[in-house]
Amino acid sequence: MTYKVTEEGDTSTVFLDGEIDMDKTEGAKEVIFPLIDAGKNVNLNLSNVQYMDSSGISVLIESHQKALEKGTKLIVKDVSKSVLKVIMMAKLEQILNLE
Amino acid sequence: MNGSSIAQMNHNEKKAFLVKTSSLKDVRTFCREVFEKLEIDQNLKDELVLAIAEAAQNIVKHAYKDNPSSNDIMVVEVSCVNNKLKIAFYDRGTPVDPEKVKHRELDNIRPGGLGTFFIQEIMDAVEFKDGKKPWINHLVLTKQL
Repeated sequence: MTYKVTEEGDTSTVFLDGEIDMDKTEGAKEVIFPLIDAGKNVNLNLSNVQYMDSSGISVLIESHQKALEKGTKLIVKDVSKSVLKVIMMAKLEQILNLE
Repeated sequence: MNGSSIAQMNHNEKKAFLVKTSSLKDVRTFCREVFEKLEIDQNLKDELVLAIAEAAQNIVKHAYKDNPSSNDIMVVEVSCVNNKLKIAFYDRGTPVDPEKVKHRELDNIRPGGLGTFFIQEIMDAVEFKDGKKPWINHLVLTKQL
């Protein structure tokens, strides 16, 4: 997994890449959580993530809940078809902010 | 969940992997290659790979929870006979108590507890069998193609 972060005002956009499994979740958290802790709104762009398992879904849930606690917002953007299918299987499409 | 598929041949293939999180990608690659040979369509292939990866992850995460630096191997065996797909997992970790293998309720939104749900949702049957020596755990997932 690789990533890139861009900043615009109080919003950070995190572009993740590759396959997100249990081996990659700590890396993803290390990128996303400090931004939320710093009070940033976070756009999580998943257009280049072609595979995500339950560990990756846990990162989305944890990030979403952390943003709620901190009074910021996490938006999950440009989700690939294969990842959207997993999100929908977990019935999280109404919980997460998807765009 | 179902997808149309054409499994045109009987097939059996197995491979050993170190019980490490870094092996999960290799497990997926192995399964994708086998499913290519079986000409399983992309949608179903994605689901099957997810179910298999979740089962392998459970071995790393749960069966080897107390022994994360182990150099043990787990074996994944994919077979297809008369369009019935069988995926078997063998490991020598802590014995699994099938009664305790439960997923979280979907409306109890919290991290974790979804891997088993995905496996059950995708596969037709999930069975924990007695592991024959040298194995301790033997999980079998099946799906009619």
